[in-house]
Amino acid sequence: MTDALPSPSLLAPADMTLDELRPLLVEAMLKHVPFDGWSDKAAEAAGADLGLPAGRARLVFPDGAADMVGTYIDFADARMEAALAALDLPARKIRDRITLAVRTRLEQAAFEREAVRRALGVLGQPQNLGRSARTLWRTADAMWRAAGDTATDYNHYSKRLILGGVYASTLLIWLDDESEGLADTWSFLDRRIGDVMRFEKTKAQWLGGGDHMPSLSRFLGRLRYPAV
Amino acid sequence: MAGHPPLTRPAHMPGDAAADSDAMIRVDQAGEYGATRIYAGQLAVLGNRHPFAREIARMAEQEQRHLDVFNRLVAERRVRPTALQPIWHVAGFALGAATALIGPRAAMACTVAVETEIHRHYSEQRAALAGGGDPELAAHVADFQAEELEHRDTALEHEAEKAPLYPLLSFGVRAACRLAIAASKRI
Repeated sequence: MTDALPSPSLLAPADMTLDELRPLLVEAMLKHVPFDGWSDKAAEAAGADLGLPAGRARLVFPDGAADMVGTYIDFADARMEAALAALDLPARKIRDRITLAVRTRLEQAAFEREAVRRALGVLGQPQNLGRSARTLWRTADAMWRAAGDTATDYNHYSKRLILGGVYASTLLIWLDDESEGLADTWSFLDRRIGDVMRFEKTKAQWLGGGDHMPSLSRFLGRLRYPAV
Repeated sequence: MAGHPPLTRPAHMPGDAAADSDAMIRVDQAGEYGATRIYAGQLAVLGNRHPFAREIARMAEQEQRHLDVFNRLVAERRVRPTALQPIWHVAGFALGAATALIGPRAAMACTVAVETEIHRHYSEQRAALAGGGDPELAAHVADFQAEELEHRDTALEHEAEKAPLYPLLSFGVRAACRLAIAASKRI
């Protein structure tokens, strides 16, 4: 995840290793994907833009479209993390952190909507379902880590699951949002996060009450070890 | 030919794959969490009404310090924590409470069994980390291992071996610990 964007290399693209080329090539592909899809054709066109010899770009993504989309999402995760690091999220309220994380993610992709649409088309194919679940998990993980999450219990999992759901549903609204300044998307996001906050509040009320419940172990302990 | 080659090979040889620090931190964090839950269960039953309670509270405090370190490492290194935490939450507490209900010596016998397994586990990790790939983790493991050993000796001094059915109790708890360690490495 973090190594998806290697430190800026001084090498020309034609001299880079295939691994170094991945994020670079995927970024260059973005303007070809709306026309050619996540295909070898788009990869070759982007390779030509970067000055790669013919045929090199095809070698960078041996698994084809799913590989390209996975690399694109890793690239987007790294880009988002860099932007979120500058916003100093841990200093803000939890609701703002998550809203900002999702907003930043979508705003950065403002000119890549068509590429995202086509990426979802690839990820929606049955043979890619496992991969798409993993990439969604990684994205939610990147957002929570940027938000300063340090949970080491089951909340680690529930947080990523819930945020993954919020992000995925907001992404679908965003894809077809024609409203002024994407107002529909942002209000949808606000409502989803409001739902989650309400749920968390109820959960906290239920679980927090446990401290005042009579304790079976304490009661048994008192029977076993009467006060001296 | 002068003598036989050594029968056991060193745990880490040049060219071996580097130790998997993430899995190590995951299982260590889970283990220390389980340990704090066991002591919490014992203390819930013993309260402050038994002379052993103070000693157990001191050991619980040290386990908490270990847990804090591993919690920090999980966050810093972006390790996925174990998914079995809710199980250790309940099982650890239940084990501590049950042994304390049998008696103070059984509680100490449980401590001996748990700390023996943890000591063995940390020894394996130290051997795997001996290659020098992760000095920070290696230092913590060495530090904590010494304290776990001290806990075991403290528990032995408190007549752990005079607990009823000591061999059976010890065998059961150690088997449970081994199972928990194996599970937390992966899940």
